[in-house]
Amino acid sequence: MVSRKRVAVTSPQTRMALATRRGGPGPLTPLDAETLARARGIRRRQLRIALGTLAGAAVLLVGLPVVLGVVPRTFRLADMPIVWLAVAVLPYPVLAVLARLQLRRAERAERR
Amino acid sequence: MIGLAVVPVVLATLLIGARGVAAMRSTSDFLVASRRVSPTLNAAAVSGEYLSAASFLGIAGLVVKNGVGALWYPVGFTAGYLLMLVLVAAPMRRTGALTVPDFAEARLGSPRLRRFSAIVVLVIAGLYLVPQFTAAGQVLTLVSGTPYWVGIVVAGAAVSITLALGGMRAATYVQAFQFVLKLVLFIVPAVWLLITVGADTRAEALRPAEYSTFPRPTEVTFRLDTRLEVREPLTVLDAGVPRLLEPGEHVAPGEATWLFPEGAAVPTIAGAALPGSDTWQRPLLDAGNGHPLLATWSILVATALGTMGLPHVIVRFHTSPDGRAARRTAAITVGLLGSFYVFTVVYGLLGGVLLPELYLSGATDTAVVALPSRVDGGTTGDVFTALLTAGAFAAFLATSLGLLLALAGAVAHDLLSESLRRLRLTALLAAGVIMLCALPAVRIDVGAVVTSAFAVAASTFCPMLVLGIWWRGLTARGAFAGMAVGLASSAGVMAAGLVLRPQPGLVALLLGQPALFSVPLAFLTMIAVSLRGRPAPGAEAAMLRLHLDEA
Repeated sequence: MVSRKRVAVTSPQTRMALATRRGGPGPLTPLDAETLARARGIRRRQLRIALGTLAGAAVLLVGLPVVLGVVPRTFRLADMPIVWLAVAVLPYPVLAVLARLQLRRAERAERR
Repeated sequence: MIGLAVVPVVLATLLIGARGVAAMRSTSDFLVASRRVSPTLNAAAVSGEYLSAASFLGIAGLVVKNGVGALWYPVGFTAGYLLMLVLVAAPMRRTGALTVPDFAEARLGSPRLRRFSAIVVLVIAGLYLVPQFTAAGQVLTLVSGTPYWVGIVVAGAAVSITLALGGMRAATYVQAFQFVLKLVLFIVPAVWLLITVGADTRAEALRPAEYSTFPRPTEVTFRLDTRLEVREPLTVLDAGVPRLLEPGEHVAPGEATWLFPEGAAVPTIAGAALPGSDTWQRPLLDAGNGHPLLATWSILVATALGTMGLPHVIVRFHTSPDGRAARRTAAITVGLLGSFYVFTVVYGLLGGVLLPELYLSGATDTAVVALPSRVDGGTTGDVFTALLTAGAFAAFLATSLGLLLALAGAVAHDLLSESLRRLRLTALLAAGVIMLCALPAVRIDVGAVVTSAFAVAASTFCPMLVLGIWWRGLTARGAFAGMAVGLASSAGVMAAGLVLRPQPGLVALLLGQPALFSVPLAFLTMIAVSLRGRPAPGAEAAMLRLHLDEA
């Protein structure tokens, strides 16, 4: 049977707020040379992947406002100005696709 | 009576909390069980906590007030999770740190940095909480006709009761439920509005005419003292007494109700765009400062980079079992938030056409809740008003509870001994302080002030997290200096802007939305000061450990 010990049930927020002052997850086992080398490789690959996704995000967040500043509102799709669709609708699927790609590539980089 | 719509929300929150606890008791260890939350459930919980009153009400209000460009806000709010996924989600989870102060100490081993981070948490949580209370107060004022302070007190009481009765205990389930609730209560009324308004109004919303003359006699109740720029002489009825306004500047006192005659030219207000005007229709943000591109970028930098530093968001990632699940949670959150935010445009555009007088009254944050009764004066309209009120209140409740606990945690760490009782007392006390701050804050734009919290997070925690995870050379001294500079150049500069009240222009823009320079400044300071020092001996291993997968 399950033990009958009473445990205070708290939310993650409450636990976080209650957690005593401590420097992380306790004493860490030192990494050996081989693991260190593997970690260096993973970090390098992850950094490259991250920079790729960041570049995509920058095109959307920095570039799109520039484009929308110059394109006139006369072009319409389903009677809505295309520049409005470009800020109200377009970014969300783009962000979701970027997130999906990043997730796939980041997980693959770890499996190697 | 519609105000009673908030009661079921509070009850449901408490009930699911209690049910969740009951379900959890069968497992031997709740703490372990809560870490087995699946990424999808956790992503719903993250979204539920994140979609605040600012998202539910504030963005549509900003569209009515400033124009289509305000739709960049939710884009930044969503992009924040992409950047979180790319830069911090998995490594942050692997530190075992529950908060940014935890991370600061875990990665850089400096208790002093931890305390400073706790202060920054207070600033961010405060800036985030006050507008939530303001929004809740305004909505309750609108739907039940009570004074603003009653709304604030009711909102504070609801939060306090939920806190005291432990309604957040099974927080993951509560928050996931809150997300579904908000999504439904946002989308269903949007679809109903689109169908009910009819083809003419739909077409009008897509080709809005400038709100230059009053199309009908219009009664405006000014929320606050409002400076009006009258363009042509006009006679208003001030409480039934005719009053001639010559061209020029006039101040309408707060709470006064003026009846503007049909056909008169609409007075303009500095810092807001006349609904339907050319500026209003431009898909860039511009609050009358003349630099739309810079203003848009500044908002995007603040929101996209600030998300990772929000105290109530980071802790949610800790319920993921490992770094990989944390990453998945962030990725799914991007999709979930997008499915909510894509509907804000409906409320914004319909608000611009159907409620343009909010531009004068200043009550733009009530646009979402005010729309149903404008479209349908009968019972159906009331029902949808009640639904939207409930949704807005759910948004307010979810975000406020998470933030209050984060705030109380930061205080409890350094000021009080840590027990559940004390923590709850601290949270209640914090709720009281926030209520007192919200009472005089009726003037603020909910969406805009929330963004200032993002600006502070982006200028302080974002550089420390990003550099701490990706650069072995970061030192505690560098992080401290960078965060201090970031805090001064974001919160400090915004405070200076409030005091100095500069003329509209580039200076006003930079003082009001400093993220564009404060974030790079914080990064550069952090790097420069770190380079002058020497990282701790184990720094490289401490950093590399964060990138090692758990397998």
